[in-house]
Amino acid sequence: MSSYEWQFTILFQYWPIFLRGALTTLEITFAATALGLLIGLPVGVLRQARSRWVRLPVSVYVESIRATPALVQIVWIYYCFPILFGLQMSAEVTMIVALGIHTGAYVAEIVRAGINAVDRGQFAAAKSIGMSSLLALRRIILPQAGQKMIPPFINEFANIMKLSTLGSTIAVYELLQESNNLIATIYRPLEIYTFLALVFFLITYPWILLSQRFEARLQRRA
Amino acid sequence: MLSVKHLSKSYGNLVILKDISVEIGANEVVAVIGPSGSGKSTLLKCLNFLEPYDGGEVRFEGTLVGYREHSAGKHLAKEKVTNLLRARIGMVFQNFNLFPHMSVIENLLEGPVQVLGENRAEVEHRAQALLLKVGLQDKAHARPSTLSGGQQQRAAIARALAMRPRLMLFDEPTSALDPELVGEVLSIIAQLATEGMPMVIVTHEMSFAREVASRVIFMEGGEIVEEGPPEKIFRQPDNLRTQQFLSRVLH
Ligand SMILES: Nc1ncnc2c1ncn2[C@@H]1O[C@H](COP(=O)(O)OP(=O)(O)O)[C@@H](O)[C@H]1O
Ligand SMILES: [Mg+2]
Repeated sequence: MSSYEWQFTILFQYWPIFLRGALTTLEITFAATALGLLIGLPVGVLRQARSRWVRLPVSVYVESIRATPALVQIVWIYYCFPILFGLQMSAEVTMIVALGIHTGAYVAEIVRAGINAVDRGQFAAAKSIGMSSLLALRRIILPQAGQKMIPPFINEFANIMKLSTLGSTIAVYELLQESNNLIATIYRPLEIYTFLALVFFLITYPWILLSQRFEARLQRRA
Repeated sequence: MLSVKHLSKSYGNLVILKDISVEIGANEVVAVIGPSGSGKSTLLKCLNFLEPYDGGEVRFEGTLVGYREHSAGKHLAKEKVTNLLRARIGMVFQNFNLFPHMSVIENLLEGPVQVLGENRAEVEHRAQALLLKVGLQDKAHARPSTLSGGQQQRAAIARALAMRPRLMLFDEPTSALDPELVGEVLSIIAQLATEGMPMVIVTHEMSFAREVASRVIFMEGGEIVEEGPPEKIFRQPDNLRTQQFLSRVLH
């Protein structure tokens, strides 16, 4: 064991920096989650569409996102969007858009798995009383699938929170970036990174716990 | 009421139904019997187009089921048209398929309110009467999962009846039930039959078919092997395959 002298107390005076970083992290997380749900819910449903011309583009989106790293997606959007679409976005907005698009694919998979987990007989029963596919989806399938989707949604939310640290690569002032800056000023990487890890654990773990609770409750009810 | 002509269906190159023709008149109760895998469920699902058929035609009250009339080639009918037809044909499944996230009475209200756009209060009145009829008046607000299999199936029958169907299809309604619960479900179906509800019922309950059906159809290998009045089919079937099947299930 080396005899490093930990000095956590000096971090206390910098709490506004951590608070600022945490707020940015939360902002990105909530906004990206909202965008991810907005994209993922319809995409997950459309992946089951009867027409292959609907299924094909959504499958390309989902699979290409799942088969590329989030970091590559972020830098791609950061550097290519302005050039290809003339779209100038701040680094933070870029982060939200990128993580939203990223999460959308995973949400879509959760939605698809949720729908598939509903007993086929439910769809037959809904159709047998004259329901259209859309009405059956809305009234019968999604309410049942929705319950099964809640735990993985919460997990995904915790994932976005962790992925938000990738923002530091494009200079978004989230927790990691703020920490790096602070290290450059006070030269205390061990304390700061340890504290950073602790902060992430504290804001992420409750969600993982919540998701497990939900899952256990669903299992008990089944 | 229902007319089936030269109906055929395959999955890939696996032929499930071959040249099925049958007429079902108003007030008729048709029992379909036959070994498992003979295509009984598939036939039933083709009747309300839960499964699309490939060849031949199904007509319900004169209307072609599932496909567009007067079109060159074969074109699916508009989804709306097929849905409307289905709304008039009740179906009861082997596994009940009640909506588990709704109470029993909500299961009954769902179709009339959401599909037919009927007034909720009026339907509720009718639904209560139906629950009384199937002996579930005190289970109106229970969740399906808290009911016995027999109660669930009675609720499923009530759900189908709430749509005021003109024809009922039953797919082995008692096969998933414990033996002691079979009777309560069969007696409700028998009562419906005496009230003049036309129905097609796939069943393994031979004594029930004999008592309630006006006609019995024996299927094997995707074909109708023999059909006739129950006295004939059960006492002196013409076909050797029918005889063999019956001697297997009756002893
Ligand atoms: N979705 C499907 N894909 C392929 N084969 C099927 C499908 N559904 C049913 N079959 C086959 O069709 C045949 C008839 O099935 P079914 O109508 O369920 O018979 P029954 O109700 O008389 O037991 C069986 O051989 C079954 O394996
Ligand atoms: Mg069957």
